[in-house]
Amino acid sequence: MSTIVGEALGAARATSPRRAGRRRLPRPKLSRRGKVEAFWFWVFISPWLVGFVGFLLGPMVASVYISLTEWDSFTPAVFVGLENYARALTQDPIFWKALGNTFVYALVSVPLGLAVGVWLANLLNKRVRGRKLFRTLIYLPTLVPLVATAMVFKMVLAPSGPLNDLLGLFGVHGPNWLLDPTWVKPALVVMSAWGAGGATVLLLSAMNGIPREFYEAAEIDGAGPVRQFWSITFPQITPIIFFNLIMGLIGAFQIFSQVYILTAGGPDNASQMVVPLLFREAFSFYHFGYASAIAWLLFVVIMVFTAIAFRTSRRWVFYETEVR
Amino acid sequence: MAAATQAPTAGGAVGAAPAPPRHDGGVPARTLKAFKPSAATYAVLLVVSAIFFVPFVLMVSIALASDQTSAQNAFTIVPTEFRWSNFSDVFTTTGLPVGRFVLNSVVIATLSAVGQVLSSSLVGYAFARLRAPGKGVMFMVVLATMMIPAQITMIPQFLLFKELGWVNTYLPLIVPSFFSNAFNVFLVRQFVSRLPSELDEAAQVDGLGYFGIYRRIILPMMWPILTAIAIFTLTFAWGDFMGPLIYLNSEEMMPLALGLQYMTSTSNALQLPPWNLVMVGSIFLTLPMIAIYYLGQKYLYEMNLQGGSAGVK
Repeated sequence: MSTIVGEALGAARATSPRRAGRRRLPRPKLSRRGKVEAFWFWVFISPWLVGFVGFLLGPMVASVYISLTEWDSFTPAVFVGLENYARALTQDPIFWKALGNTFVYALVSVPLGLAVGVWLANLLNKRVRGRKLFRTLIYLPTLVPLVATAMVFKMVLAPSGPLNDLLGLFGVHGPNWLLDPTWVKPALVVMSAWGAGGATVLLLSAMNGIPREFYEAAEIDGAGPVRQFWSITFPQITPIIFFNLIMGLIGAFQIFSQVYILTAGGPDNASQMVVPLLFREAFSFYHFGYASAIAWLLFVVIMVFTAIAFRTSRRWVFYETEVR
Repeated sequence: MAAATQAPTAGGAVGAAPAPPRHDGGVPARTLKAFKPSAATYAVLLVVSAIFFVPFVLMVSIALASDQTSAQNAFTIVPTEFRWSNFSDVFTTTGLPVGRFVLNSVVIATLSAVGQVLSSSLVGYAFARLRAPGKGVMFMVVLATMMIPAQITMIPQFLLFKELGWVNTYLPLIVPSFFSNAFNVFLVRQFVSRLPSELDEAAQVDGLGYFGIYRRIILPMMWPILTAIAIFTLTFAWGDFMGPLIYLNSEEMMPLALGLQYMTSTSNALQLPPWNLVMVGSIFLTLPMIAIYYLGQKYLYEMNLQGGSAGVK
């Protein structure tokens, strides 16, 4: 699924500049056959169309309106204009704390996961014995449902759990990860790093496609392994890294289950994130207006980060097919 | 995750591509220093995969622990006790309908997958093959909807389903699947675009209508992509936590993912959750996903190769 979105992003990027210059042709009259075909087109896409209107467009419009009201769904909605947005941005310290925590989580966990992914993929790309076994072991965690992951990590991160045992080997006295305000976010990052295998497998398949002449030529020129990695491997896999970065950021901004199950946002809101906050406002306190406003603010944040990533991508993402 | 990776062209259409050429220049990897593993390579891989594997060992170890060990939280990473009866006790001693949890998960995941496969095959076929005014715009809308985060529609959808009286039924978790989603439509559309269109034309000459072409010609060829969609949907629906958390509140309706969390939260402050049984539940939650991946790996992998990895954008 992941690469498909990348493809969509790539397609959007490839077509956008060209569209401006194209002249619109007058639409030809449809023949009878054409009309029949068009009729069937609409019949075939009707499941999507109905879903789009009923479950997406309608709810989106409703969400805009709800976000401008104060409403608990039991008493009539009161129109309050932009007050919900103003409240989130100026009066609610927990919203800012949650947003800050989400930033920290996304901006640490996603690059870290990618770095680990690139590192492991580069090792697995060598002619390693038992490569399939290593690849399987590293990929396996990504198949574990999030709830099961959370249950296991509750134990992994326990004060006398395996992680602190490991740290103990190096003489480090591990903290009480999930109950210590300083360590609860790193704990969530550690948990996300367990899923680095997803990126590893994608990156590995991209590395497989790099022409070997490149490495041969580099070797003849006397480039060492580090130089070869940064001058050949890395530029060739930047599209995959970029894609994983975008998808990873979008996913990380929406973190919910781990927080809900492991910490409930605590201790002292140190691990409160935007979506768990939104969920609590909506489904525990029935503040549907305020929760909808938070949802739109989250959407804006995600859009801004995606736009920034796209802007900077021209500088570091290498597309072989692009003519410059 | 690892899905079809095809070279994008304008508008995302991919022509019928033959097997991708191997472009390694015929240089065997073994002659190149860049592909020579050192001792450090093995050391790092061994350590990292061991670390990645520890949580699985711990999961099994806790699942096999006795109730006393569980109550004292005195678990070891490597199993020392082997209480296999935990695997049957989980259905009887927790006071929760765990068997029902599993059944609920199976029903929700299966029906969601059926819905996605049916609807996205219809819609994707139309986007790939049928011509109609407004199709281009519609396809842009499909792509655009991928960017809307679920949180925006979550609250109005909840209010809608509440209005319909669907709260605490499977319906809110299953019905939307029958209206397809943008990713799957896109996947099918890309796949069908690559099938030779002579097939449809021949069928049309022989007098098949559009539905006939879909049903008799295209659908039988679509199964690799539909298998992939079924796997994605099963995986997502099986592990989904937030949806059931919003819509389901009685124990009888909960799927396993929600039921497990419920199991850990119902125990009171004096009594720890039955961690050994919770881990048995986690294993039940995990194993089908590993099995599905293992069985479906071939299709996912084939799709990955079809465009050639160099085409990944």
